[in-house]
Amino acid sequence: MSIHAAAGPRSPGERLAQIPWKRYRLLVIGGALVGIVVLAAAFADVISPSSPYEIDVTNRLQPPSRTHWLGTDEFGRDVLSRAVHAARISVKVAVVAVSVGLTGGTLIGITAGYFGGVVDLVLMRSMELLFSFPAILLAIVLMAVLGTSVLNAMVAIGIIFIPGFSRLARAATQEVLRQQYIEAAHTIGMSDRRILLGEILPNVITPLLVEAMAAFAYAVLLESSLSFLGLGAQPPEPSWGNMLNTGRGFMDQAPWLGVVPGLAMFIAVLGFNLLGDGLRDFLDPHLRDGA
Amino acid sequence: MLRVILIRLAVFVPTLLATSLVLFITVNVVPGSAARAALGIDATPQAIARFEAEQGLDRPLHVQYLDWLWGALRGDFGTSFQNHLPVGRELLARLPVTLELAALAFIIANLIALPFGALAAYHHQRRVDTGMSFLATVMGSVPNFWLATLLILILSLKLRVLPAGGYVALREDPARNLSLMLMPAISLGVVSSALLFRIMRAKMIEVLSSDYIRTALAKGAATGVVLWRHALRNGLITFLTVGAVEFGWLFGGVVIIEDIFLLPGVGQLVLVGIINRDYPVLLASALTVTVVVLTANMLVDLLAALLDPRHVHVRALR
Repeated sequence: MSIHAAAGPRSPGERLAQIPWKRYRLLVIGGALVGIVVLAAAFADVISPSSPYEIDVTNRLQPPSRTHWLGTDEFGRDVLSRAVHAARISVKVAVVAVSVGLTGGTLIGITAGYFGGVVDLVLMRSMELLFSFPAILLAIVLMAVLGTSVLNAMVAIGIIFIPGFSRLARAATQEVLRQQYIEAAHTIGMSDRRILLGEILPNVITPLLVEAMAAFAYAVLLESSLSFLGLGAQPPEPSWGNMLNTGRGFMDQAPWLGVVPGLAMFIAVLGFNLLGDGLRDFLDPHLRDGA
Repeated sequence: MLRVILIRLAVFVPTLLATSLVLFITVNVVPGSAARAALGIDATPQAIARFEAEQGLDRPLHVQYLDWLWGALRGDFGTSFQNHLPVGRELLARLPVTLELAALAFIIANLIALPFGALAAYHHQRRVDTGMSFLATVMGSVPNFWLATLLILILSLKLRVLPAGGYVALREDPARNLSLMLMPAISLGVVSSALLFRIMRAKMIEVLSSDYIRTALAKGAATGVVLWRHALRNGLITFLTVGAVEFGWLFGGVVIIEDIFLLPGVGQLVLVGIINRDYPVLLASALTVTVVVLTANMLVDLLAALLDPRHVHVRALR
């Protein structure tokens, strides 16, 4: 980072060019993969060659061809169009679920870390408890109780993320509490609320955002799992999970139905994972060996 | 040593009780939901009231919980709304399937993660390490149910070397049992190994850069001895505890994997409970999967304590 400081004021373009991109290969690859997925979600209607819902019974289970690049499914629908549209649900669920987890976890974590004592004990014990359930099992049980819908999937996945974020936020808060500026804030009589939101929150947010990238990957995975089990997005709305689940039944005649949706999930999950790793290296090269 | 075991057990019991309470409340949080789930949405209020009286669902929640818990402790998880058979017996019949799958998956995950994690740590920040870490990220990004689908596609449908699904008890036909269990265990194990690899690598890097390793090497101990006897052992102890918890977190995947491979395990029962809206079945099976995970974590903790040289010294000194 010292290179940047020494470089002095320059145009943003030059400064970007100075970053040793070759060292941040993970960040670049991850960013590119995530970019593909996000663009697919944003411009699904423009990109897809045909409608993801258009049924064409005469062209059922067609192998990949010039008209249907990734073949057709059991209703003759274009698989590429469906896979592109499915990115929407994944991105939507991931964004909402991670926001729920990040917000809830951060609030609980910094509160526990700041007040300590009984508050800390009660909050963190409940988080530990939530963490002792296998993630997908908890999501499935929550979906069974809440009812199957995309909205409930977002809530269920968000709840699963809360303990992880809260642990991280608590640890970071305890670190920040030792700093002098917190002592100074107490001395000038700032309220707990102002210290928490104005002093602590901005200083603990970086590791939380890095973690959020990894959470995105896991959110895509969980949403796909729920949809695969029929507990998330409901047909005919395309999601990678439900496409793979129905495609499974036709695999001996149409193997691409078992490959394409999974490949799409894999690209999204890998992209977010690499982006998370890359971001960690980028923000703090020392962090990499620790956790 | 005994103290360590007792403390661990003392923590285990409240955790179990708390998880059972959380599951019970989650499933019963909406009043009348169990009855409506069992009878369908167009059930009359009278039918719901009758059903609730029959099943004891009209009692206060804490009475219901204590009643259910007392039964559960004796292996009585009530009867299924669907087929009116005792849930406990069903669980008992299904438990061996899930336990075998869990054990096989854990073995596969560790067989991959331990040696490669140690190797990557030894070659820290060299090409071997970077390559392996990248590969682990790639493997960890494969959804386990997609891996399962691909394995079926390739090994069962194309090459026809392994059966696509079904179950035969280990006692009846060990070879057939293993051939049926192999793909499910690989699907769960290989994907989990990526996470375990990262943990093992981080722990070994920590150990290898510690003072006692440097001291051992400085006083001229053979590198091999230091690596095998000191580093690996200490790395394993911290790895085991963290690794088991993380594996448990991923273990929920059995629900999907058992469903894909038609394995009649407890995980599949969770889905049966959800699809039939059969709350006693859902509650009991979800709790069983959680208990399996928690028990495994505890056993691993105890194993780690046994391996820990500090405890050995304490015992030897006395």
